[in-house]
Amino acid sequence: MADGDRIVIVGAGVGGLRAAERLRELNFDGEIVLIGDEARRPYHRPMLSKALVMGAVRPNDTSLSSYIPDMDVHWRLGTRVSHVDTVERVVHLPGGETLWYDGLIAATGVYPRHMPGAPRHDPRVRIMRTVEDSMAVRRCLHASKKPAVVIGAGLIGNEFAASMRHIGRDVTLVGHAKAPLHRFGDRVSSGIVHEHHEHRAKLSMQSEVRHWISTKDTVGLHLTNNQLLVASVVVLAIGSVPSVEWLRGTPLDVTDGVLCDSKLFAEGASDMVVVGDIARWPNLRFDETPRRIEHWINAVESARHAAENLLVGHSSAKPFTPLPRAWSTLYDTRLQMAGMPGIAEDTVTLADGITGFIRDGQLVGVSSWDKPRAMLDWMAELNRRLPAPDYVPEPEPVVAEAPAPEPVGVSSEVPVEFDSGFDQQAFDREFESQFANDIPTTAFRAQSPPTTAIPAGSLPAASLPTMAIPMGR
Amino acid sequence: MPIRLPGGGNRISVDNDRCELYGICAMEAPDVFDLGQDGRLRFRKRLLDDSTIEQAKMAARVCPMQAVVLRGEEFDG
Repeated sequence: MADGDRIVIVGAGVGGLRAAERLRELNFDGEIVLIGDEARRPYHRPMLSKALVMGAVRPNDTSLSSYIPDMDVHWRLGTRVSHVDTVERVVHLPGGETLWYDGLIAATGVYPRHMPGAPRHDPRVRIMRTVEDSMAVRRCLHASKKPAVVIGAGLIGNEFAASMRHIGRDVTLVGHAKAPLHRFGDRVSSGIVHEHHEHRAKLSMQSEVRHWISTKDTVGLHLTNNQLLVASVVVLAIGSVPSVEWLRGTPLDVTDGVLCDSKLFAEGASDMVVVGDIARWPNLRFDETPRRIEHWINAVESARHAAENLLVGHSSAKPFTPLPRAWSTLYDTRLQMAGMPGIAEDTVTLADGITGFIRDGQLVGVSSWDKPRAMLDWMAELNRRLPAPDYVPEPEPVVAEAPAPEPVGVSSEVPVEFDSGFDQQAFDREFESQFANDIPTTAFRAQSPPTTAIPAGSLPAASLPTMAIPMGR
Repeated sequence: MPIRLPGGGNRISVDNDRCELYGICAMEAPDVFDLGQDGRLRFRKRLLDDSTIEQAKMAARVCPMQAVVLRGEEFDG
């Protein structure tokens, strides 16, 4: 980009904000136009299913700050981009308005997935996408004392259920998986089941909605396990789909988000970078398979990286190789995740409350159940074992260190802590497509785990996951 | 508009009503924040050099609870 250029950012969430902020931080002095379909300036979306729906904060308390003296951004809020011409470099807006750009940043995020058959025209059947959605749920809760229902056993579903119990409302969580949060491993999954039980939130797992019954004052659900629920509000939280309709008709690959190269540049267009949930890019720290990551911190980090890459141009740009991180609070328990548990084939207990995720004998992810201090050490350990590759398009294999003086992690020492309850089939279903291009990453010599994180004697260093763990599956 | 404090300088504080002690700030800004073995968060209240200012900004950006508050000429709240 040069002086006087115009960069258009589509999407005014955290990704759009952080991208604009980074452009100014790097002294871009051209024009920045930030287009968002909501009427609000960027806000902290993770609060919607927690503090905001509980009434602990007001809508204006959710707004995000910027940390530079002058953003100098032209806001186009309440405006939905209708389509883009990536050849002529023009963004089309309602009413026939057109806006040329020299650089384009796509940061439109995801939209809650629709559940076939759910009567979204019923005012008590809601999603959790915007501040207004969250406030609408609160209005439903005020209008009726009937229990709340949330469908979907992922993070938002569990957070919402916990929020309802926190404000003293009865709630049932309906999910088709066998257990909530099963992708985070059995420790987390059993932990949240226990917490829901302790707080008297009802779980209806391995069930789906068979019939919906909308009446004047409530909405009823007949589940496949023959349960009948009568609800003041039903929140649909069964995952999300990338908001990329505005990019259809371009040469871009928008089958699952926007396909990008490792530098977050969109494939099939020039001077266009992609940020946050919709970016499907290969994180060379793990392998060369393009994937999307729907984590809030990833939106911040990818926004900053993409903005920088756009400014310096493709040839000087660097691959985006983060160590993904995510968190949630469920009741009073802090749940954390780092790396890519989704690509793992197995899990192993690393320490009290800490689960490791293993692929090809290598640690690729860690989750923790209310162990933030230990998690810091394990994230650092994960970073050492899976270092970001050098800034070259094809990572050179790291020269392996001299073989360890003695065999580490031999099979006889390990299996006691393997998590046999791991739901391999669910993983296969969810991540089948992502194994296609697996390249074995270089094995790293086993290192001592962070000593602080391990209760004395509970886990000999040699039993940490290394390449020597036999992978039978 | 920059907020000018008496005596100037860039200052940091943490909203205790929001902070849930994840320690993400300690990872982003090890020279500013420390999550102790006791689970308590300790941090420098004054930011003196550019490096700690940049670290503190990054900590504020990625804080899951958006609990880090920065005040001073370097920032715009």
